[in-house]
Amino acid sequence: MSIALQDTSDSSLVMAIARYREDALAEAYRRHAGAVFALARRVLADLTTAEEVVQEVFLRLWNQPDKFDPDRGSLRSYLLAQTHGRSVDLLRSDTSRRRREEREARQTAEAGYDLEYEVWDLTVADKVKEVVAGLPTAERRAIELAYFGGHTYREVATLLGEPEGTVKSRIRAGLQRMRSALKTSELTDSDTTWN
Amino acid sequence: MELKHHEIEELLGVYALDAVSAEEADLVEIHLRECPRCRAEVADHREVAASLAHVGSSAPPGVWSRIAGSLEEVPPQLDMARVVSMRGRTPRRSVPLRAAAAMVAAAAAVIALLSVQVSHLDGRTDQLASALRKQGIDQAVQSALFDNTARRVDLRSDDGVTFAKAVVRDNGEAYLVGNNLPKLPEDQTYQLWAVTGGQTVSVGVLGSDPGVSAFKVSGQNVSLLALTAEQAGGVATSTKTPIVRGLLPVA
Repeated sequence: MSIALQDTSDSSLVMAIARYREDALAEAYRRHAGAVFALARRVLADLTTAEEVVQEVFLRLWNQPDKFDPDRGSLRSYLLAQTHGRSVDLLRSDTSRRRREEREARQTAEAGYDLEYEVWDLTVADKVKEVVAGLPTAERRAIELAYFGGHTYREVATLLGEPEGTVKSRIRAGLQRMRSALKTSELTDSDTTWN
Repeated sequence: MELKHHEIEELLGVYALDAVSAEEADLVEIHLRECPRCRAEVADHREVAASLAHVGSSAPPGVWSRIAGSLEEVPPQLDMARVVSMRGRTPRRSVPLRAAAAMVAAAAAVIALLSVQVSHLDGRTDQLASALRKQGIDQAVQSALFDNTARRVDLRSDDGVTFAKAVVRDNGEAYLVGNNLPKLPEDQTYQLWAVTGGQTVSVGVLGSDPGVSAFKVSGQNVSLLALTAEQAGGVATSTKTPIVRGLLPVA
């Protein structure tokens, strides 16, 4: 085939991957591997394991492209959900427990460590930084601990000394608030976020 | 344990961030199968989470070569594509093609027999097509129809009666509207073929009663589409005379 892959949509790219086109997988990697790697590295705080997760996520896309459901969001959000889920699994596994404890010890030592810092660290788009900065502190902190810290909401509740129901509500409300703000700037559009 | 709808809703945010227990994740996932509204909310949350990880940083060096090295161990499958009928979840309706000004030229040089090996198509392509269906295949078809650069073709039988229509976009996305095709016996299937670059390749096994189907071709290179009736499951090589066929206008 002679489709110009650089110009094709993510959905079409996955169609091509489904046809065993390695160049299509390479294009998906070019577009999204940076984000996948950054997220895995942030959650796991371990370069080698993060690279393994990147490899695993793209091989899964190659072997099971049908798992990507365009009805449930963009390819980037799909890959990042896979990345996050796998990273959290590793983090919660017994073999990673010690690493996690060490990581948490390091984070505790860092002053003023919050989601704004995380976001800045990930060189997120200015608009996202602005939206995050606009969140109530309690919502930001809960999202940070759950998403980047890999904690369950029950753990977040314990860490923050708040009721579990409150944490659930804050995370949901924070995500909805961000969604609403980002929608205005169309930053969440699937085919405009890749680079 | 069974949760009420509002209890599931309260979990959607933390579920999207993988911040629930395995048991809660199972309960949410069971609910999501039946609740499109909650599915949409989870998708929204994940898009937001993805924006947090939006980066300008590069992919890790060396990882791609490891991935590419692993791919060589994956043998390409040669199974024929499965049914990609777009019926089922969406109401059946005729999708009117826009009047096409420049349509089929004289079909003088049309091939009669199709005898080239199938390219690497298999069931997973159609699973993805099925997923695309859920996001509104009719919208995709109509979008293609309103694409001024797309090529449209009527697929006609030898007596000149139009049985199917197709639209092919420059990027290779293509759709067949075959609502008027006669239903075949259950042990037979329509199979769609494309002539591209002098080769004939299978681009889909459509089932015995195809409606609207999505398929993929090599964009501007495809010159002819044809449908044959084959045994259920499709064939790698056809010796049948096409039931309908149509030459695409030059890109």
